[in-house]
Amino acid sequence: MNLGYLAYRNMISKPLNLVLSLLLLVLSISLVTFVLQLSKQLNGQIDKNIGPVDMVVGAKGSPLQLVLSSVLHIDVPTGNIKLNEANSIKKHPFVGSAIPVSYGDNYKGYRILGTEPAYFESYGAVLAEGRYFEKSFEAVVGNGVAKKLQLKIGDVFTSSHGLVAENVEAHEEHPYTVVGLLEPTGTVLDQLLISNLESIWDAHAHNDGDHKDENDEAHEEGEHDHEAHDHEAHDHEAHDHEAHDHEAHDHEAHDHDETHDHEDDHEAHTDEGDDHDDHAHDDELEITSLLVKFKSPLGLIQLPRFINENTTMQAALPSFEIQRLMGLLGSGVKTINGVAIAILLVSGFSIFISLLKTIRERRQELALLRTYGLGTQKLLYLVLLEGLFLAFLGFLLGWSLGRLALMMASSYMESGYGYVLQIKPPDLMELLFLGVTLVIAMIAVFLASISIFKLNISKTLADV
Amino acid sequence: MVKTIGLKFAYAGEQGFHFPDIDLTPGEHLLVLGPSGVGKTTLLHLLSGMLPVSDGKIVIDNIEVTSLDRKSMDEFRGGRIGLIFQQYHFIKSLNVDENLQLRQSYPKRTKDNERRYRLAERLGLTAHLKKKVTQLSQGQQQRLAIAQGVIHQPKVVFADEPTSNLDDDNCNNVVQLLKDEADISESSLVIITHDQRVSQHFSNQIVL
Repeated sequence: MNLGYLAYRNMISKPLNLVLSLLLLVLSISLVTFVLQLSKQLNGQIDKNIGPVDMVVGAKGSPLQLVLSSVLHIDVPTGNIKLNEANSIKKHPFVGSAIPVSYGDNYKGYRILGTEPAYFESYGAVLAEGRYFEKSFEAVVGNGVAKKLQLKIGDVFTSSHGLVAENVEAHEEHPYTVVGLLEPTGTVLDQLLISNLESIWDAHAHNDGDHKDENDEAHEEGEHDHEAHDHEAHDHEAHDHEAHDHEAHDHEAHDHDETHDHEDDHEAHTDEGDDHDDHAHDDELEITSLLVKFKSPLGLIQLPRFINENTTMQAALPSFEIQRLMGLLGSGVKTINGVAIAILLVSGFSIFISLLKTIRERRQELALLRTYGLGTQKLLYLVLLEGLFLAFLGFLLGWSLGRLALMMASSYMESGYGYVLQIKPPDLMELLFLGVTLVIAMIAVFLASISIFKLNISKTLADV
Repeated sequence: MVKTIGLKFAYAGEQGFHFPDIDLTPGEHLLVLGPSGVGKTTLLHLLSGMLPVSDGKIVIDNIEVTSLDRKSMDEFRGGRIGLIFQQYHFIKSLNVDENLQLRQSYPKRTKDNERRYRLAERLGLTAHLKKKVTQLSQGQQQRLAIAQGVIHQPKVVFADEPTSNLDDDNCNNVVQLLKDEADISESSLVIITHDQRVSQHFSNQIVL
């Protein structure tokens, strides 16, 4: 029989003692591993998500909100900006690429994003199946959404107004057709349904006209094309029922969601009532934001200030905003880690007490082992094995508990924010932490074992 | 096998004990008789190297154990001495069989199942091998203690008051078992007791 087996049997012979000495250890290790993994994975995901975007241009408001909503898709947008105003930024020599995004609808809680095909490229997204959208109301579906909602090529879905699933106002007259499925990217794309900008415009433009008989007719006659549709609206306002329509239109505009506020529409219409060219049309079109990648690092210095001071829009730098946010969260992570380390030290102390107690209780057994021929060194080794078993078991349980907590956090975050946390094998940091735990256990063992060196077997065995 | 010359022991500041010389040939048995307080247990602890002698020397199996250091003494004792204590000592987290296996394993790593099972059978422990030691009756614990003293085939077995809590029948049985097992292991047996009932079993006796 080897000492390892004896140590193991000794350890499990008193389950309650075992639980007591493991409790703190498990608590501290689960806390540390959970927080480390959470912050590491969140940072990793956020870095990936903001990677392709140097600057976001959107409506004035909180820059952090703009970044969270337009890049990470975990907040509501600050408002809308004019497409032609946004387009003027595209022409700036420091701008490499500028991708307009527009959103405001969801399907079962997953955001529908209107954008350009360049959006896929910027994230390096690849199609797993199907093709990219070619016309309005064709959607390319992120891997996570497709899995969760079991969407396939050819599936049809209707969008709901707003960004949360509870909203019941649906755009039933404009169903989307799934034409492409994306490979997993590990970015926010996995959680999005992506179509072209026109789809977003059309869904809402049509929604405006929904309450007008003439527009309904026009819709039935016309193509599902926003330009044609808008022309109908223009004609109607300009020539047929001016007074009535102005009122109706204003009314609709107010009812409508702020992301597609057409308050100025009727003025534009009356001014350019007969002008049917696309340029006039562009004046009214709005997007939520513009995702900019700089061509030159100078852009980083000049453009945000220029936009913030000279336009009605605001520019936000994702990396800066996220750094600011993480600075706040980071101190939280540090605090929790500090608490966990304190618990770990206390747990080291509790292991020490527990070993001290076992050594005292088992003094006679240790003396007996001495008469069996086990020297002081071997007895020390036995207690060391017990201490290390304890530490290792505690680490294993704590680590598993930490991962379990991560799984729970993942399902919570997925339903709330569309972020998924991965359950990964132990990383270097965690192995290092295992080492620290074992060292603490060893120190506890040596402190507790001093009495072994002084063991008087004659006296101990004669004691009744 | 066991030889002592001018053995003395004194606790600090107390009047010490002076023990008569012992000389045993291999396989020879000895009974040490004496009332309480004359240093019987002290003698046993001296002989087994658990207490350092104040004066004199002890030779067991041709080795002068009084000159061994602690580590060598631990090893020597583990291999060549069997001890049966007045107060039973077992490893409580192990079952009966595992306790015997453990005794077999040190200091030489051996695992003689055959010998262990035969011994258990002779001592009526076969049915109890998988039990926890705390579940054994007093008599079974006594027999397990004997098994622990002889299982590793020591050169000499020291037994301290092995019959003190037993009635006459059991006293005779236990002494007989001890002698039989010592003979089977070809060990010398030294019993130290105040129990006069034991004296009829031994021709070789010392009175303290």
